[in-house]
Amino acid sequence: MIEHLPAALTLSASFTVLLALIVGTIAGIIVGALPGLGTVLGLVMALPFTYALDGPTAVALLLALYVSSIYGGSISAILINVPGTPQSAATVFDGYPMAQRGEGALALGWATTASFIGGIFSLVVLILIAPQLAKVALEFGPIETFALVLFALTTIAWVSSGEMLKGLLSACIGLFLAFIGPDDMTGQVRFDFDILFLSGGLAVIPLLIGLFAISEVIYQAATLTDAEMPSVKSGGFKFPSWAAWRPRIVTLLRSCGIGSFIGVLPGTGATAAVFVAYADAKRRSDTPENFGKGEPDGLIASEASNNAVSGGAMVPMLALGIPGDGGTVVMMGALTIHNVIPGVRLFQNQPDVVLSIFLLLLAANIFMLIFGAMGANVFSRLLRIPITLLMPLVLMMSLVGAYAVRSNPVDLVVALGAGLVAFVLRLNSFPLAPIIIGFILGGALEMSLRQGLVMTDQSFLRFFESPIALFLFAITALIVANLILGDRLLRFLPGFSARERK
Amino acid sequence: MRRLLKRGFVAAAILGLGAGAALADYPEKTIEVVVPYAAGGGTDTGARLLLPELEKVLGQSMIIKNIPGAGGTVGATQFSRMKGDGYSLGFLPVGTTTTQPHLRKLTYDDNSFEPVCLTIQDPMAVAIDPGSPIQSIDELIAKAKDQTLSAGGPPPGSLPHIAQAAVANAYGVQFKYVPHEGGPAASKSILGGKLDILVDPIGSAINYGLRPLVLLDGKRHASVPDLPTIDEAGGPPLRYSIWFGLFAPAGTPAEIVKQLSDACKAATTTDAYVQAVANAKRTPRFLPHDEFKTFFKQQYQANAELMSVIGLKK
Repeated sequence: MIEHLPAALTLSASFTVLLALIVGTIAGIIVGALPGLGTVLGLVMALPFTYALDGPTAVALLLALYVSSIYGGSISAILINVPGTPQSAATVFDGYPMAQRGEGALALGWATTASFIGGIFSLVVLILIAPQLAKVALEFGPIETFALVLFALTTIAWVSSGEMLKGLLSACIGLFLAFIGPDDMTGQVRFDFDILFLSGGLAVIPLLIGLFAISEVIYQAATLTDAEMPSVKSGGFKFPSWAAWRPRIVTLLRSCGIGSFIGVLPGTGATAAVFVAYADAKRRSDTPENFGKGEPDGLIASEASNNAVSGGAMVPMLALGIPGDGGTVVMMGALTIHNVIPGVRLFQNQPDVVLSIFLLLLAANIFMLIFGAMGANVFSRLLRIPITLLMPLVLMMSLVGAYAVRSNPVDLVVALGAGLVAFVLRLNSFPLAPIIIGFILGGALEMSLRQGLVMTDQSFLRFFESPIALFLFAITALIVANLILGDRLLRFLPGFSARERK
Repeated sequence: MRRLLKRGFVAAAILGLGAGAALADYPEKTIEVVVPYAAGGGTDTGARLLLPELEKVLGQSMIIKNIPGAGGTVGATQFSRMKGDGYSLGFLPVGTTTTQPHLRKLTYDDNSFEPVCLTIQDPMAVAIDPGSPIQSIDELIAKAKDQTLSAGGPPPGSLPHIAQAAVANAYGVQFKYVPHEGGPAASKSILGGKLDILVDPIGSAINYGLRPLVLLDGKRHASVPDLPTIDEAGGPPLRYSIWFGLFAPAGTPAEIVKQLSDACKAATTTDAYVQAVANAKRTPRFLPHDEFKTFFKQQYQANAELMSVIGLKK
């Protein structure tokens, strides 16, 4: 492939490409940071502009937007507890507590570098083994997806340590919420109580906004007194030191790997990858009790894995012509318009185009790092706004974001309702993350189970005929058994112990 | 944000190309177009192909409002309640307007909308895994008589579901139907060997990397001139397509509908539009408001009967 480098450089090295990268990166960070806009909408908005551009410039614009919008979500997650995109759902757990401690600048530094490395890691994976990985993705039919989602559900245990029963109850709330709306297996609508706006089901962003942002606003209003107005120490942006990085390299690389791999599998989605990586980091940590209280490892896991999904999701899109998520659907449409037809033949017939896409993706990640560092500097000054002014602003932005997702008034009710319920749950020390995990995985869990049952003529036993599914079921069973037996089973296997080891 | 960018783009387009001729009074302000599916899907891209051209003809900006949910019925219901003043329009597909009202209790029917113009009608094709040894529809049917083949696609009641049932019916076989989230997910299952057949619009089937066997239409498709029609393949004369059109809420003044229909005709004949539609492997078909209305009413009736035949009618 390397012999095509000169041709690829000729394709992608031009002033307009540079300009497109800059515009795309800035626009991406903004749509990512503003709740309710997000990756797909950003790409769709940019699409009409690309009609007038030449191929490489159009691709540069879209790639820069795609990559940096995933990162942008972390800014609002860290600074104001509002995940700008669903991919940043786990970033709030440790990013926001860090910001509250006055370490917002450092948190942005961790998030930006982790995002950058996640993006680069997945790009390397994409370059080296895209065609082989694409074949693995195809092996994941409904039965294998069901096994994977079931495995992903065990992450609930890791985000609700100490409060296991409450965590499981929270997860049940999330699972139930996922069942509202259309049933894709029959085309019928469930639990809508004949309310039109409920017939489309609930959307994840309003729920996220309610659970994290609005409950935080209520919590602050309920607990704040003049005496304890938090004084914000620093705005700005700070790269973490190498000494701080070194013990976290393993966590970083594992999260990159998890993100890239789950990104390759269509149907599970970036948000699932983030929670699996977060749980993995916590499971392997020497200080799991710090997770959720501003532990950089948690932040790294979340941000490295969600940006690693970007390269992973490109694998089936470029190598097979199958888009894995909403972002790649739009991207594939744009590529097709510019006569780049993704699929098996792309790698054989247009290696220079493939290579130039890789180069642009590399450039997009570098621009994300530069503009992220500069932009974070601007954004983090938000923290200097007194909390009594900031919180009403957060509330307003949250509601606008919740409504903007799909112009459905029920989303305002959902966001406010979720905020109130989450406030009550927080006071009773119920973990909130399992609600989101249950909600996000609930749909895929049910759908893949029922699809699998149709395929096997309603025989669940035949699920075990799939070696991939069998393997995943076995790990899931081990983890659950270990939890029930109070950590006696896997104590000697590093990485599986749920209990704090110190 | 979205609105702002859109406006900026529109302003740039108008300045660049010289504003369209000013028509009497209407339209005096921005027109909102409801798309009852999420951005990036087949309905949304259909609208996004049309609107830039329509804007130039009308000399007024148009913004898309995506209201997704429940097979387009959430957006269509909201749209049906909007004021019929020409400033609220909808870009709706066949399923939302002519099959969903027969499947579930909804507050709209064929009288809630005033058809303005039909713009796209994509014929559907029977598609399979490109690696499969099967080369024709007859070979596929022969295999289906031997063993149970499974078909995938969106939830029951959707057109891909209806069309695969119709194909099986006409040939006297039956496919096992495995519902998926949509065409892309079903295609992945097919390429992975977990599923055999998808009946979907021809352009989508090709974009998903599948190999079409036969086109469910009377004439061949411009983007795949080698693909035989079902008639040429010696099959029953099945005609299945997914169409999209511009609608106004019922009660919109006849002169505005007429003006919009004429503008639509001008917009769909520009070179830019024709080229963009061809690039997207979509199928242009224009019908002015009177012909579209007749067509729409026929489709509404025909699909009501179809739904009771396949046992899905509410």
